[in-house]
Amino acid sequence: MFDRDIWQEIIYSIKNNKLRTFLTGFSVGWGIFILVLLLASVNGMQNGFYLQFNDDATNSIFVRSGSTTKAYGGFEANRKIQFKNNDIDYIRKSFPEDLEYISARYYANTTARYKSETGSYSVQAVEPEYQIIEKTIVTDGRYININDLVSKAKVAVIGRKVKEDLFDTEDAIGKFVEFNGLPFRVIGIFTDDGDDNAERSIYAPLSTYQSIYGNTDYIDNIALTYNPNYDLTKALSFSNRLENLFKRRYKVSPEDQSGIRVWNYAEAFSDISSFTSVLNAIGIVVGLLILIAGIVGIGNIMVFTVKERTKEIGIRKALGAEPGQIIKLVILESVFITAMSGFIGLFFAWIILAIVGPNIQSPAFANPSVDFSTVFTATIILVVAGVFAGLIPAMKAANIKPIVALRDK
Amino acid sequence: MIEIKDLHKSYKMGSNALHVLKGINFSVEEGELVAIMGSSGSGKSTLLNILGMLDELDEGSYTLDGVPIKNLNETKAAQYRNKFLGFIFQSFNLINYKSAAENVALPLYYQKVGRKERHDKALKYLEQVGLKQWSSHLPSELSGGQKQRVAIARAMAAEPKVLLADEPTGALDSKTSYEVMDLIQKINDAGNTILIVTHEPDIADMCKRIVHLKDGVIVEDKVIDQVRAQQYV
Repeated sequence: MFDRDIWQEIIYSIKNNKLRTFLTGFSVGWGIFILVLLLASVNGMQNGFYLQFNDDATNSIFVRSGSTTKAYGGFEANRKIQFKNNDIDYIRKSFPEDLEYISARYYANTTARYKSETGSYSVQAVEPEYQIIEKTIVTDGRYININDLVSKAKVAVIGRKVKEDLFDTEDAIGKFVEFNGLPFRVIGIFTDDGDDNAERSIYAPLSTYQSIYGNTDYIDNIALTYNPNYDLTKALSFSNRLENLFKRRYKVSPEDQSGIRVWNYAEAFSDISSFTSVLNAIGIVVGLLILIAGIVGIGNIMVFTVKERTKEIGIRKALGAEPGQIIKLVILESVFITAMSGFIGLFFAWIILAIVGPNIQSPAFANPSVDFSTVFTATIILVVAGVFAGLIPAMKAANIKPIVALRDK
Repeated sequence: MIEIKDLHKSYKMGSNALHVLKGINFSVEEGELVAIMGSSGSGKSTLLNILGMLDELDEGSYTLDGVPIKNLNETKAAQYRNKFLGFIFQSFNLINYKSAAENVALPLYYQKVGRKERHDKALKYLEQVGLKQWSSHLPSELSGGQKQRVAIARAMAAEPKVLLADEPTGALDSKTSYEVMDLIQKINDAGNTILIVTHEPDIADMCKRIVHLKDGVIVEDKVIDQVRAQQYV
């Protein structure tokens, strides 16, 4: 394989047919180029989609309330549904098998002030388990815990942006911030991948906010995650049972889509997954079809090369070259041309992605890239393709009778 | 060294067969220098092809250095050619993008001799044919006589049992022809067995034995007094 003589011959053969080698190599390079760009685009779309969701655990379900649109169970339409604290306990008791984590959410807006800095932020009053559901990463300090909840402590976990706005470089943990005039102690700072807006919000204990704002047990909506071992079917069945139960509990018509809404990420996720995998498959098929054209081209050039070198191959065989050695020579040349062309295509695709990729700012498209496995697969494809392209010409070469070298005068 | 018994060979030409060799009995001892003569169509090239394992015999037997040459597959034939035979062609058949030394080293490459040793041996044989200083030149930079001497060095490089030369002087002028024959005689003097196919009587006279072929049979097989090529050089 790493025989200098073989490489000398391959390089000679390529040098002798520069234009032809370039033209056929181009088609393989082009095939790989398109294949990689297609896969990278699909990958970009996939990343874009996931980015929209990656705030949340992929097994999360959100239960939201609204106003009914149908009269049902003796109630008129347009009734506002209001969840309360006891709904959480109710779900806990009703679905002990299905449930993983659960938290109520209560929304408020606040004007926060620290020293001379002020800012307006949204506050989500939640329970400790919400950290896992929302996949909140606490970089400093801690998240809300059960003690905060029981003691209705005026504590807050602030987003990285909030910290920057109010504290700049100053250490924020343990400092007091005024939320609408009430002092809250900062206990933690959180970040959120890729979403600056999420970092402009504040988490506070649910009970604290409920007591501040009217001492209610009202909650805006419920976030929960289901048993992570559930597959899509089980997850959907669970969210359906949950929806039916809540509609019965609040006497909402089963057909009413607006009174109570259960939003299951698994469903959206599986839609997107199947969508992107179909796109991926299309990308691969189209890329491979283009590649096949290139491979046929390589096979073609190898047939010519062998034909041109018939006499030389005859001489070699007269001197003792075995058929296997001739086959090896031709196939190596074919693999070499295919692989080099392919890598050049890969390289250009990579450059384009490196230049264009980071400049694409679209919610549905992010970070189009090829990962190592794509490159690895492409390499395997190229080598196999090279072997196939060289196979027929190589057999032809091996079948050349050395007698032609003598006869041809 | 070479033992041929009742050799027959025919080619199918459409519906009728062309009987080229019609029962050849022929043997060559070690150290002989044999000219095979005959007009075109006499079967001398076919005989050389069979001797060179480039073609298969139909009937009869061929033994080379005690090894029966029969039903060889391509790989085996290649190995035997490499081990037993050295070829010298009329049109030299050097590989044009390889230097003289690389051409000479080629049979050694197929014997899987290491690169360094190959080169050393190639230089040794180039020195024997008087072309050591031309070792790094491409065939295109050599004259016809020089090319044939490189080809002779190549044929000898693998240290074969028999050298087969097919019209080795056919493409050379008479002065160069004699130079090449002088070289061949010297190689023969060193004990090498050589067979030369030629239709030139003066070249045949420089061998030690002439075998005359006509219409597929040997019509004459005589030992002659060798004419030394040295005197014409």
